[in-house]
Formats: sequence, structure tokens, C-alpha cells
Amino acid sequence: MYNDDFYKSFITESINPFILFNNDSKLIDFNYEAEILFNYVKPSVLFDLAMSNSPHNFGFERKYINLQYGKSKFYAIVVGYVDDEYIGIELYKQVNIEKEVAKIHDIELVNIFSLIEISKSTNFDLSITKIEEIYDTSIPEIKVNINDFLLTLNECFLLFKESELFKIKVNLKVGKYEIIDGKKHNIIAIECSGNIKLDLSTKLEKQALKSHINIFELDNHIKMEFPMIL
Amino acid sequence: MLKLCMENFIALSASSKKALHVAKISAPLPVNILIYGEVGVGKKLLTKEISQNTIQYEAIELEQLIQQKNVDLESYKSVIIFNIENILNNKQFFEKLKNIKIIATSNLDYKDLQNNFPVKIRLDSLSQREEDLNELSKIYTEEANKIYLSDKTVKDIKIDISQNGLSLKKSIFKSILLNSISKDEMMDIMYNYFTKELHIENKSYKDLLEVFERPLLKASKNIYKSQVQMAKHLNINRITLRKKLSSYFEDK
Repeated sequence: MYNDDFYKSFITESINPFILFNNDSKLIDFNYEAEILFNYVKPSVLFDLAMSNSPHNFGFERKYINLQYGKSKFYAIVVGYVDDEYIGIELYKQVNIEKEVAKIHDIELVNIFSLIEISKSTNFDLSITKIEEIYDTSIPEIKVNINDFLLTLNECFLLFKESELFKIKVNLKVGKYEIIDGKKHNIIAIECSGNIKLDLSTKLEKQALKSHINIFELDNHIKMEFPMIL
Repeated sequence: MLKLCMENFIALSASSKKALHVAKISAPLPVNILIYGEVGVGKKLLTKEISQNTIQYEAIELEQLIQQKNVDLESYKSVIIFNIENILNNKQFFEKLKNIKIIATSNLDYKDLQNNFPVKIRLDSLSQREEDLNELSKIYTEEANKIYLSDKTVKDIKIDISQNGLSLKKSIFKSILLNSISKDEMMDIMYNYFTKELHIENKSYKDLLEVFERPLLKASKNIYKSQVQMAKHLNINRITLRKKLSSYFEDK
């Protein structure tokens, strides 16, 4: 017979986060994926999630619900307990294979700060929203699909339209790069935040996917990352 | 200093300055631009700030030309289209123009559901652009004064901005024209009017007298306020005056 460690290894190596709590909501055990997940969501939130979705009697129950923490999306959870002492939860990760290979077309050299200026000026009413900008002006003109880039910015800025404060930060990500068509490119990040609770936008996600921009939606801020093609 | 005239888009208010700024930085980009707002806010003038020598069409006209295959779209790099909200088949229209930069205007109701315009510039109404309204009123008053050899100032004129720049211009020109009419010109106008009226219908002396008496009584009422004063200054019997006022202003 195989020993318990062998079975446990499958949980440890799984791409799905697994967490075991005791009845005081204390962490008893978790796998590598769960450790990454804790960067985006507090264990107490996951404990509440497990409790509110636990089966009525001892046993296991799978529920299909859409969740997003940081850049990771989940389409289902399994919650299980066999006694009053421990409760476990596994989150089923949604993997997007289509995004793996990036190919860029119809790109032109442009000053992205001009595009931000256009989108900002046409989407915000300055009598409602105060805008704070932090720009790394050393970023040179880069090649983007101007049409798609502007549409993505518009979708993003629209989410903050009612916010009294809008902060936008544009900087180069140190030590990170993306490979497109076999070439290595640095990454530029645009971080937007406001003082309203954001309703996650599927339109933004779709537009960003079309524009080859990676979107990370976290509580009240959105981060957009894209390659610096010169 | 650049002398502003109606060849230029007036941008003295904060919102129109912003619109002009966006138009200027969007102009060199290969993306479609939509300028939207109420009638008479300056949408056409703003398209000129984006592109001077671009071919212009009314949206309906261009849609018909495309349907009839009477336009060589491949020869255009950009096109200005007015009143894009009038397009009947949006999908087909934009598909045909997908390789051309479109600078379009629309009213406030137009919804860009297919995201054809990454840049959308809103032009506020003149009632929200005080500085622009003052400047435009000044320009139109100067133009009208030149034409009608008048010396009116903006303060003398009752302006109408219900249709923004359109009604503003009309109200200023009309006001200055009416104020610059001499007695002889007025009598000429009335002569023409009476000739037309008498020719069409068999009107009585009393019917046509109203054209003369109504404005006269209205003006004197404004100046003298009371009927006693009106009768005194017009040298007319008070009972006759009361009868006339009653027939012209109370019954109707």
C-alpha cells in the first residue's frame, strides 16, 4: 500500500490552493498555491468562505462559484469536514491557455503619456474627480496598438468615473520581462486606484485581452502590465 | 494677438480648452475621433482643428453613396462625417470604413456600442461656457454692427442660447437689424406687408391697423407705465385708449 505522504504530495504539488483550518479559524496546513494566494486574500476570508459553503452534514461538497483574488480566478470550491475540529477548502483554478502566446499586430510608435492624457481628459469630470499622477517620464515612446490601447484605458478609467480621487502611476517593472515573437521586452505597469469599491468589468478584461495587456484587479485598484516594445 | 473670428473654434472656457487640447493631441493619431454635444456648440469647427483638408460628408449621404458604390473609399486616408447618429446600418458602415480615420460629430444621444471611437470629445452647451458665450456674443455683435452700420453693444441685446451658437447668432443679428431700421425703411416694410395682405385677402382697415397700433401701445405702456400717462403723452382720449388696450392685450 502507498503511504499517506504519497497522497499528500498530490495536494502539495496541486495547482489548486488547498487550506486546512481548525475550528478557531487557525491555519493548520496549506499547499504552495495557497501560500501564493495569501498574498492577495487573508486566510480569515477563506475560512469564512469555507464555513459559508460547508455541507450541512459531515462530508464534502463542491460548489461552482466564480471567485477572483489578485490575478487568479477560480471557478469552483470543494469544502469538507469529517469532525467538528477541522475544515478544509480547495479552490479550483481557472487557467487561460489562450493568453500564453502573445503576438502583436498593427503597432505604432507613440508616447503613452499622450494616450493617458486623452483618455483621462475624455473620461473624467475634474469637478468630481481629483487626479494624482506619478509618471516615470524616462519611459520612451513605445510601440502599441493605439486603438486598442486607448479603448482599454477608457474601460479602465470608466470604472473610476465616480471616484472623488483617482491615482495613476506609470512605471517600468524592474527585473520583469515578456517574450514576444522570440524577443525579450521590459514591462511597463500602469496602476490605477480610487476611493470607491470597484465593480469588476468583463468589458475591461475582454478589451485588455485583445490589446495584449495583462490586467490585475485588486480591491480598489487595477494594474495593467504590457511589454515595452521599442 | 490672434483676432478670433468664426473660422476658429473659440476655447476660452475650461471645458472647451480641454476639448481643444484633446482634439490637438488626438489629431496625429491613427484613431477615430467622435465630437458630440448639443446643436450649435461648435462640433464642426472643432473637426477643422483636427483636420483642415479632409473630405466632409453628412452621414446619411455617405451611407447612400457607399450603398450605391458611388464613392472611392480607398482613395481616402481620413474622412469627416457629420451627424453619425443618422447611420442606419452601423455595423456595415464602419466595416466599409475600417481602414480610414473617421472624425465624426454626433448629438448627445448617440451610443458608440461597438467601440468605434477610442476618442470621444464632449462639447458642453454654451450655458456652461460663460467665457466662450461672452466672446461669441462680442464677435457676432461686431459682425452685425459692421453689416448694419450700427453701434450696439452686447448689453443692448437680448440673446437666445436655446440652440447655442445658432440661436445666439440669429438673435444678435435680428436684434441689431431691427434696431437699425430707419422710419423710411420701416414704412417700406409695412408697405410691402400691406400690399401682400391686401392682395391675398380682403382685409379691413381695422384688421391691418393692428400692425401699427399693437407695437405702438406696447412700447408706450413700457415707457409710461400708467394709462393716464399714456393717454397724456399720446394725446388720446383715455376711454379710447382703454378700449384699444383691452381689445389688443386683455382679450387675447
